[in-house]
Amino acid sequence: MTSSPEIAMPAADPKDPYAMPALMPSSADRAIRSFDYADFDIPTRKQEDFRYTPVERVEEFFQPFASSDDVTATVGMIDGSALPDTVTVRTASKEETGVPAVGEPADRIEAIEWAAAPSELVIDIRADTPTPVLVDVSGHGLDLAALHIVIVARPHVRADVVIEHTGSARLAEGVEVTAMQGSELSVTSVQEWNDDSKHVGGHRLRIGAEATLRHSVVTLGGDVVRLRMDQDFDGPHAKSDMLGIYFVGAGKHYEHRTMVVHNHPECMSRVIYKGALSGEHAHSTWVGNALIEPTAPGTDSYELNRNLVLTKGAIADSEPNLEIENGNIVGAGHASSVGRFDEEQLFYMESRGVPERQARKLVVHGFFKELVDQVGIPQIDDRIMATLDARLDESVAAPIAEKADDGTANNNENYAHNQEEN
Amino acid sequence: MSTLEIKDLRASVETKEGRKQILNGVNLTIESNTTHAIMGPNGSGKSTLAYTLAGHPKYQVDGGEVLLDGQNLLEMTPDERARAGLFLAMQYPVEVPGVSMTNFLRTAVTAVQGKAPSIRTWTKELSEAMERLRMDPKFAQRSVNEGFSGGEKKRAEVLQLELLRPKFAILDETDSGLDVDALRIVSEGVNRAKENTGMGIMMVTHYTRILKYIKPDVVHVFAHGQVVETGGPELADVLEEEGYDKYLPEGTTESALA
Repeated sequence: MTSSPEIAMPAADPKDPYAMPALMPSSADRAIRSFDYADFDIPTRKQEDFRYTPVERVEEFFQPFASSDDVTATVGMIDGSALPDTVTVRTASKEETGVPAVGEPADRIEAIEWAAAPSELVIDIRADTPTPVLVDVSGHGLDLAALHIVIVARPHVRADVVIEHTGSARLAEGVEVTAMQGSELSVTSVQEWNDDSKHVGGHRLRIGAEATLRHSVVTLGGDVVRLRMDQDFDGPHAKSDMLGIYFVGAGKHYEHRTMVVHNHPECMSRVIYKGALSGEHAHSTWVGNALIEPTAPGTDSYELNRNLVLTKGAIADSEPNLEIENGNIVGAGHASSVGRFDEEQLFYMESRGVPERQARKLVVHGFFKELVDQVGIPQIDDRIMATLDARLDESVAAPIAEKADDGTANNNENYAHNQEEN
Repeated sequence: MSTLEIKDLRASVETKEGRKQILNGVNLTIESNTTHAIMGPNGSGKSTLAYTLAGHPKYQVDGGEVLLDGQNLLEMTPDERARAGLFLAMQYPVEVPGVSMTNFLRTAVTAVQGKAPSIRTWTKELSEAMERLRMDPKFAQRSVNEGFSGGEKKRAEVLQLELLRPKFAILDETDSGLDVDALRIVSEGVNRAKENTGMGIMMVTHYTRILKYIKPDVVHVFAHGQVVETGGPELADVLEEEGYDKYLPEGTTESALA
């Protein structure tokens, strides 16, 4: 179409999108989704999705590989009991799973994982299952491995699934979760890898009409963990809770990227990620994307990330992104902060006789406790808190050098609850 | 019988304009079972005295000694001072989100007493102490000071004072922000703690109204970082009448009246 010289329509300049924000492409238009890894460029830090990622530390996951047997996955119940007949577990070929895949891979890592995974582990929950299902993912060596897990809660089913990652591994893992209409599902992925482990991949989540999905990620161990969570809805009046807890030790990189897409009316989403960092070159990244599409009036969305930097030399990246394409919404808010221990809190507790280290533990305990309770799996609550306490003990056993206020961490309390209408 | 001796205490604080001397040689001795009121105009350094004694990192000690039964408090960390028997009731108690009052109090009592109180006696002691201060039992489950009103925070300070049983309590403007009923309840708590433990009290206050409820044995006037006058309870009455004007540099005025 040629433009008439009489009518000067504004045109967006792709090199300067902010000059004409109304004509900026929606991230939904931009995003590539494909099962073919060749459709994605090799990740570099110049790409938006990888700008915080130490790509050189995960580059082995950028090229096709044949999955080794170093990682095993077994499914049982969290209390050790036999699988009830409400849960069907099977290994399926990728072509014939019998359940719809949630969506196509969203980046090269996910597409490579899809190509490398020999089959799918399908956990199909057909009726209410009061005891949590446990997927025990164990690493027995550092040969590259790929694992693809599909979790389905059938309509109106209530169930909980816990995926536990332990041992030593280099794993690309894809998890697809479907909470069908009216179901109430929780999926909790716990990363307690050994220090030599790497874990990349993504969780693709779809929530049916009037269904509730509580998706939790608890990352407490491993050298590099990089997970992206892509969630959308399959009908109105659904609820998404995405919770995250992480404790990053010296030299480790833990990255969590959440993408919430509101594509149906009157759904609610809450993203809450909290992390603590301790030690030289501890690095965490949280990027929280929320997209409210024109098809999603009445959306209520909120995302929050808080980081507690316990020592010098640790870096927390925290970036909320909101994209709102619908003026008729209930709310779209975000809050993000990176902070240190509050000296006044410590002094207050010390002035009551509590030694400094114990005071620090109390503060960190308090920082995480409520969120651990919200994860809502009593069988693992205590263990998560105990692991957090142990990580903290290792952390405070190191010389306490964190009193300096030299600004290595951005104390960037940026609390905004936006009620945007445009 | 214990003694808290403050000898020629000097302290300064870092400000944008550089280091500022605030305490200019404080001398003061407090014995068990006596109540000293430290009264002075705003900015005289009386709160700095309270925080310096407790060991707040913001204040740098430049000289002098603070001896509790001969032990130099200034060489101790804040928690060691508390375990040695010092307690500071703060004007603005700090909120500690996520840490429940009950957990915090038990941790503090365990630290100060050197062993954990038995669950049964502890629960009883806590609920009775809270009841005496007319505190809702629900407060025990709430985060430390979080969302407490001014009056509730002060009651929580006195609750800690009663449970920790210090040898010496420093009360920093404990009367500020309290209505008459809350002032009476809080004062009763302080008097009860003194009766039960024989502690000595250093009460920092700008106004005289709390002295109607907590009777001082000795009243000190504090100005420009020093004790400038010492007398009996009658000195407070004089301050109530005349204010602090005569202790201030010429040309400035301030009233001691509430």
